[in-house]
Amino acid sequence: MKCEQISELLPDYLQGSLSAEQRHAVEAHLEQCADCSEEAALWKKLSLLPVDRPGPESQARFEAMLQAYQAGRSNQPDGGSEWRRRTSAWNWNVFHWLRSPLGAMAWSAALLVVGVFAGLHLAGPKPPSPDLAAMQSELASMKQLVVLSMLQQQSASARLEGVTWSTRDEQLNPQVLSALLHTLCYDASVDVRLAALDALSRHGRQPQVHKGILDSLQQDQSPLVQVALIDLLLEWRDPDAVQRLQALQQTPYRNPSVRQRVEWAKSKLD
Amino acid sequence: MLQVRDGAGETLGVLFDRYQTPLFNFYSKLTGNRTLSEDLVQEVFLRILKYRQSYRPGTPFRAWIYQIARNARIDHFRKFPRETTFEPEMLPPLIPTDSAQEQQEVELLQRALQQLPEEKREILLLCRFQELKYEEIAALLGCELNTVRTRIHRALQELRKNFHQLAQGTMLKKAEAAGNIPPQGGRHEV
Repeated sequence: MKCEQISELLPDYLQGSLSAEQRHAVEAHLEQCADCSEEAALWKKLSLLPVDRPGPESQARFEAMLQAYQAGRSNQPDGGSEWRRRTSAWNWNVFHWLRSPLGAMAWSAALLVVGVFAGLHLAGPKPPSPDLAAMQSELASMKQLVVLSMLQQQSASARLEGVTWSTRDEQLNPQVLSALLHTLCYDASVDVRLAALDALSRHGRQPQVHKGILDSLQQDQSPLVQVALIDLLLEWRDPDAVQRLQALQQTPYRNPSVRQRVEWAKSKLD
Repeated sequence: MLQVRDGAGETLGVLFDRYQTPLFNFYSKLTGNRTLSEDLVQEVFLRILKYRQSYRPGTPFRAWIYQIARNARIDHFRKFPRETTFEPEMLPPLIPTDSAQEQQEVELLQRALQQLPEEKREILLLCRFQELKYEEIAALLGCELNTVRTRIHRALQELRKNFHQLAQGTMLKKAEAAGNIPPQGGRHEV
């Protein structure tokens, strides 16, 4: 047997997966051929190489990585507050259900019933019935559900659209209002916060909204939002507007345009 | 592994205990860089967590983990291209000593292995140290079984050449140290 033939068999010989006949043939060649037998010997000697072991800190790093990963996973849907976690879980469940085949069937059936119902009642000359009012309120609550879900979206433009949707209704339920307030305080995008402020300013008479907007004056760091808040304060002629502007003046901020706006608003209020 | 795939993070600890040393040994013999090898081992386990859903039950886990390990290394060197293929920071200086012959042979073999081109070193590490079957290596490298056999044999041939050259060099140094051969001139017959 020649070395070329051995080269095909040697790897299997070294792993011990040759038939007895082939093994004998290889061994016979190895006895004659110094090069091939040296290769076989080196293969065996490779097992003598020391095993490199990682340092003791490797285990600790792994455990820290595992913990960080698990913490990251459990916090993923969390925007930082308990409220947000609960509503987002709830929304997810609702939309997950709506997307399922069963949900789609239920949807279609409900739409059909609503369509037939609307057709029967709206076409007739009868005055609006309590049923129609119930349906309208159902529709309104559906719209508000859409707003709530859109405010939780990852994309800023989707959240912006959610805020715009909320302006289509005259009356908003407290849950949507508090979601908008949350957006005003915590949304990462300045545009979305500005739009939320605009939407909320229509509901400024409600004490919850009024207080939330005034509180955000101290919190928001963006000059654009701060200027819009100052203008709103001026527009409302709030009784403690001067006091709030003074408090804002005392907090350290760098933007000169906000400082000018505060001065200007104060002069208007005096 | 199925438990890890289905979300039991603690089970990953068992896999870590079992595979961290073989993986570290694979990387350190391949790159010669301890710090990088430790980083890459961590990266492999992070990827196992991230991509655990891609593991198909019934397929050999060892092959899957080495697939991840190879990709992690390839990605690392794509991000941080290196100039040298091997950074022999872990190597003890090779000084001819009168220590046991076997010890010296091991040192020479280690050097010979490190002088191999990376793909040859890798295939020897995979079959000799990681004890992957040839079929597993073929799947891992995306080649035919016979190609794996040929590559292993070529790697062994080159290893033998390297080993020979190093052994000759060492014997010369020894002889010089003993003063048998004049420092200048003279033919170096071994």
